Amino acid sequence: MKTALTLALGGLLLAGSALAQELPAGDAAHGETLIAKCRTCHGADGIAKLIIAPNIAGEPEAYLAAQMAAFRDGTRQNEMMSVVVKTLTDQDIADMAAWYASQSVVATLNADPSGAPELCVSCHGADGISVVEDAPHLAGDSAMYLAAQIEALRDGSRPSEVMNAIAADLTDEEIAAAAAWYSEIKLSVE
Amino acid sequence: MRHTRLIAGLALGTMLTAPAMAQDNMERLGNMQKTDATFTFIPQDDERADALRSIVQHINVPDGFEVSLYAVVPDARSMAVAPQGTVVFAGTRKDKVWSIVDRDRNRIADEVKDFAPSVTFDIPNGPCFSPDGFLFIAERNRVLNFPAAEFFFEGPDQPVAVVVEQGELIPAEEESFNHSARVCDVGPDGKLYISLGQPYNVQPREKLEMYDEIGIGGIIRMNTDGSEREVYTRGVRNSVGQDFNPATGELWWTDNQVDGMGDDIPPGELNRQTEAGQHFGFPWTNSRVEIPEYKDVPRPEGVSFVEPQLELTAHAADLGMAFYKGSNFPEEYHGGIFWAQHGSWNRTVPVGARVMFTALDENGDAVGAEVFADGWLNEDTGEYRGRPMDVAFLPDGSMLVSDDFAGAIWRIAYTGQ
Repeated sequence: MKTALTLALGGLLLAGSALAQELPAGDAAHGETLIAKCRTCHGADGIAKLIIAPNIAGEPEAYLAAQMAAFRDGTRQNEMMSVVVKTLTDQDIADMAAWYASQSVVATLNADPSGAPELCVSCHGADGISVVEDAPHLAGDSAMYLAAQIEALRDGSRPSEVMNAIAADLTDEEIAAAAAWYSEIKLSVE
Repeated sequence: MRHTRLIAGLALGTMLTAPAMAQDNMERLGNMQKTDATFTFIPQDDERADALRSIVQHINVPDGFEVSLYAVVPDARSMAVAPQGTVVFAGTRKDKVWSIVDRDRNRIADEVKDFAPSVTFDIPNGPCFSPDGFLFIAERNRVLNFPAAEFFFEGPDQPVAVVVEQGELIPAEEESFNHSARVCDVGPDGKLYISLGQPYNVQPREKLEMYDEIGIGGIIRMNTDGSEREVYTRGVRNSVGQDFNPATGELWWTDNQVDGMGDDIPPGELNRQTEAGQHFGFPWTNSRVEIPEYKDVPRPEGVSFVEPQLELTAHAADLGMAFYKGSNFPEEYHGGIFWAQHGSWNRTVPVGARVMFTALDENGDAVGAEVFADGWLNEDTGEYRGRPMDVAFLPDGSMLVSDDFAGAIWRIAYTGQ
């Protein structure tokens, strides 16, 4: 397990620096004018309105931008997101990521943090607030969304250098437990 | 006596299927045993209810109609009104089915709690009743039957029978989040009709044949015990609303069309099916619009596509629909169709979030769509106050509108004032 984590962090650092070079700097104020396409599902402040959409409030900017870019180039697929991002420019992506990243969020954990899923905490935190710039917050995402993502990371249909390796050996029960832990945390915008 | 007979019949039926349903509490329930399940009650008179009531002033309806908050119901989706009219059941796209009770018949619900909390549901969007009181619930990938649910819902442990086993509605690997909200109806032939949306924006070619065989991207029908399953409707993208015309027995249904072709195409659809097996064009066409991905794919031989009765505002998301069978509304509405437009999710300028209506002419064709109720979309800011998902009717002829965004069921009644 230790090996997996070390590998994971190494991969993150690499991916993070590569991404930063590709996209222009984001303008959050301009990003706010572009979110009509986002808010029906993710909320104007990034707190999801639908069980099938993740919270994106206060998400690390690099992660958000990378996901939008991945949906656009087809490396990550989703029947809704693949359609929405198709026409976005690099600047749009950077600006929208900056808008949602600028939300200040609080996670409320009503459980003993030592019960958090061990494999996840070094990147996603016990309270589901990401501690590295390439990892998403998981706090308050629906168990259904989280489990589906981990399953997709496990079978490789959602490619991620880091997570594919970590998820590869997870059982359905471990996935359900991790999803349940993070879904029970409350995420709110300050 | 009627209750006793039902229980006996059920016990016999479930004993036969019990070995196959060894998951959560299904086996215990099949054997009429108790579980430790408890109810979740939704407060009906708190700040949340007050906030919802303040939305009522924004809803526009024709003269003589009145809007009110009927119930606070989180994530309320498709609805089924029990034959006796005491209880309304509402599905969700999460894991709950809600029972909504108006015991004192003042047309405001006084109790909302989860139905059958001992059962673990997975996207139980679609409840529907048979005329003799069996409640069917179509989930993402299972169909259950709750006998006399209208009487048994008071207890946490429901008698239940399995119509379609978990994983047998569609292959498990075809399960997705999207387009998995099923609706069901018991037709005039006594069969159960279930919509199966196809999980993609446009399905890949290599899945065409398998989908066609199973009825994914279609509507299937079967006996209420799950036998004699067949594909009734072909060429559907994702239908989340259907009802039978009480005058003719024909099935009508709405459909949601392809994203990513622009703000104004393809149109939404209201369809009329006159016989079993008809093909409505998808994925080759949405109404008269050709789908680019299928331009070069040969169309099914010897099949002509049925065109929709109405072409509707693109991306407004036409969902739950129902014929008006009551008498409370003015005569112009009798025998016509009401449906909910959920509202667009990615259109540049949002549209929808309203209740639509069409009358039928003497040939039984739709006359044309008109707006019956709107105001759930704030036109100034483009933000939703609510998103109507389904319509249903109480025995007094008034309309219920479910709203999975606000988490409410609204009531629209004709008062004549």
